[in-house]
Amino acid sequence: MLAIDVNRLRKQFKVQKNREGLKGAVLDLFKREHTLVTAVKDISFQIPQGEICGYIGENGAGKSTTIKMLTGILVPTSGQIHVNGFVPHKDRERFVKEIGVVFGQRSQLWWDIGVIESFRLLRKVYRVDETDFKRRLDELIETLDLGDLLNRPVRKLSLGQRMRCELVAALLHQPSILFLDEPTIGLDIIVKTQIRDFLKKINREHGTTILLTTHDLQDIDALCSRVIMLDDGHIIYDGGLNELKDRWSKGREIVFQFTDAVSLDRVNSLTAGLDVRWTKENEMAAKVWIPREMNVSDVLARVVSSAEISDIKILETNTDEIVREIYRTGSPEAGEGIRG
Amino acid sequence: MVSAYFDFVRIRFLTMLAYRVNYYSGIVIYAINIGAYYFMWRAIYGDAETLGGFTAAQMTTYIAVSWMARAFYFNNLDREISNEIRDGSVAVQMMRPISYLLVKMMQGFGEGIFRMLMLMVPGMIVAVLLFPVSLPTDPMRWVVFFVMLWFSFLINSQLNLLTGLFAFFVENNEGLMRMKRVLIDLLSGVLLPITFFPGWAKTLLEWLPFQAITYLPSSVFTGRLNGEEVWNALYVQIAWFLVLIVPILLMWRSARKRLFVQGG
Amino acid sequence: MTKILFSLSLFREYIANYIKTKLTYRADFWVEVASDLLFSAMNLIFIFVVFQHTPSLGDWSEAEVVFVYGYFMIPYGLFSTFSNLWNFSERYIVKGEMDRILTRPAGSLTQVMLENVDPPSLIGSLVGLGIMATAWWRLGLSFDWYDPFVLIVLALGSTLVYLGIYTAIAALSFYSDAPTGITPLIYNIQNYGRYPIQIYNKTIRFLLTWLLPFAFVGVYPASFFLEEHRDPLMAWLTPAVGLVVGAIGLGVWTHGVKRYRGAGS
Repeated sequence: MLAIDVNRLRKQFKVQKNREGLKGAVLDLFKREHTLVTAVKDISFQIPQGEICGYIGENGAGKSTTIKMLTGILVPTSGQIHVNGFVPHKDRERFVKEIGVVFGQRSQLWWDIGVIESFRLLRKVYRVDETDFKRRLDELIETLDLGDLLNRPVRKLSLGQRMRCELVAALLHQPSILFLDEPTIGLDIIVKTQIRDFLKKINREHGTTILLTTHDLQDIDALCSRVIMLDDGHIIYDGGLNELKDRWSKGREIVFQFTDAVSLDRVNSLTAGLDVRWTKENEMAAKVWIPREMNVSDVLARVVSSAEISDIKILETNTDEIVREIYRTGSPEAGEGIRG
Repeated sequence: MVSAYFDFVRIRFLTMLAYRVNYYSGIVIYAINIGAYYFMWRAIYGDAETLGGFTAAQMTTYIAVSWMARAFYFNNLDREISNEIRDGSVAVQMMRPISYLLVKMMQGFGEGIFRMLMLMVPGMIVAVLLFPVSLPTDPMRWVVFFVMLWFSFLINSQLNLLTGLFAFFVENNEGLMRMKRVLIDLLSGVLLPITFFPGWAKTLLEWLPFQAITYLPSSVFTGRLNGEEVWNALYVQIAWFLVLIVPILLMWRSARKRLFVQGG
Repeated sequence: MTKILFSLSLFREYIANYIKTKLTYRADFWVEVASDLLFSAMNLIFIFVVFQHTPSLGDWSEAEVVFVYGYFMIPYGLFSTFSNLWNFSERYIVKGEMDRILTRPAGSLTQVMLENVDPPSLIGSLVGLGIMATAWWRLGLSFDWYDPFVLIVLALGSTLVYLGIYTAIAALSFYSDAPTGITPLIYNIQNYGRYPIQIYNKTIRFLLTWLLPFAFVGVYPASFFLEEHRDPLMAWLTPAVGLVVGAIGLGVWTHGVKRYRGAGS
């Protein structure tokens, strides 16, 4: 069954035009001009239950607008949405009982009271049974290691601690779909890793479908089997992360740490005949770029056989660069090509 | 440097223009306020010729001009400041090479200019048409009135700065701000002229800054104060303006210290 | 029905949280109570000062005007307890907390009201009751067995009038593109409903009776108990007007939420 089913979804906003200068402002007082901005342009995608899907794109690409439509906050201008079989903006109160939402920049919790009090209140709001609540809470507290934070007021928590509490708050009612908007923004690497592991765990154990937006492509690397990439309201890529890399990654790089000083000429001669590019890192190290279609082992074998190597590091082109590459070359039309 | 401050006036003026719902409702509501008080005072006067030294005709003018003056000097600087203190953005603003307090005053002034041109002037015209308001004929009186109005704005804004800055020292100054708003409306003379208060209260109020905000300029405008008294009224305003600078600076200094020592 | 019961059970939880919060800021609690009372004191001072200069206000005596003021404080306190929406636009629209409200399985207005409950305002109601009782005694009004019940019905009606008007005004922020300063202005107008309506001209009387019916939160219902000025028709209209205005407020809110969800931020 599909967890999320979106068909030709569109969202337009009326944006007020502010005319310039004093004269313009006075004119605005009596007659306003508006422009119609289309934030989401007829996008379609389906997410089956149990999938973790990354929803990426630049600021203003339409990510948040989509998430807000999927969670029932905004009503679409046209198109169909089904989430869990519900049309989110209709029957809102029943629909939201089945979903969990975390907006990274905004708190779900009550600022001045102990975290546990917020959880108890949410239990009431979501009408979770007391025993279910206890069991669920214990499980979440244990995996997220929150035990000693529970009685602290939210305003005294660090961002990382708060974020973990937000996750608990969003999951107390055991939603089948979890929407995360920038869940790791501003967190340090340890907390990020902890949160990623946690998300993988609930996905594995409870089959929770997760849709997350993020700017941190390591989140995607670590979590998502599938990526939907949005640009200017269009989907420019929808598919596996690996295909995305295959398609757009320009190759890999290997950094060699030699035992003696090397020159560019020297390393170039090592790989004579191969279509690779060397750059010097420092006196004792050089980096070689290898095109996607060439075997890394061919290059490795050549170099290792004729020079003393103390260390080797293979760099995969990271997703950050992929995105930049797509933005550079990929117009939406080209995007249609990738999808097809 | 100076032009930077004027920019704050301009920007606030333009911002105010963008809030057109406020603008339209503002005109209607100020008209209702003046109307309601006009009728209330008519009922209070009944058959009496003068009350508290005001003739019924002077009272009408007093009400109209007081509410219109209020439109000019009124602002929410206290709330803005305490919000900025609470969400921490004040620290950022303090790093800028311009005076935070002056910027606030300028923003308040931009708001005041907006209300004066867009609200007070049309409102006054409506009031003159609807109610028996008599405007002074002596041009000098107009000039003095506008100078005094400027000081009303300064003193009221100074009080707002003080109230707002309290947010540095207490967890929540909401109650204080509400109290201040009520105090100013009652004690400055918008609701009723200072002369209506019983003797002891009158004496007390004459030693407080509030009367300088509404009562003094409106009394000059209505012709209640004449000759020497007019100048005395202006001196009282100037004196309060100068006196109030002291607590603001003191508070500001200790606020900065607090901010830098405790990190907010 | 189950929805109302659910809201009531939430109310208990939110109050409990309110108390826990306030225990950490005890000083604020008292400042708030004090400022509320000072506000009422100011209005009473106005009445007292005015009556030093005149024996009556359009044939209403000082005690009668004070009586109306005392009555006014009761619904006002109730209203302030449940509908502390003064900075709704700032907090929920500008800062976007409305998004969070909309992802929770409870009514949006219910949630917003509950998140802002303000029980200290109830103290104002009690003080108002005291002022009313004192004026009652000063005026030597008779006391019938049904008076307390009538008072409850009228006060609830008046509270609904308030709730409706201010809910509608708060909901305006869904329509207007900027934080509105209308609330403080309306706040001034509400004062006029506490004075004898007869002193105003037709326009203002019409306004206070039918457009912004603040007269139903003061002079009309209170007149029921004042033998000299009893106007049973207007007094008994109070609950009806309350229901109508309350429904309008709810309607504007519901429509506004729809608009918010169409416009986004």
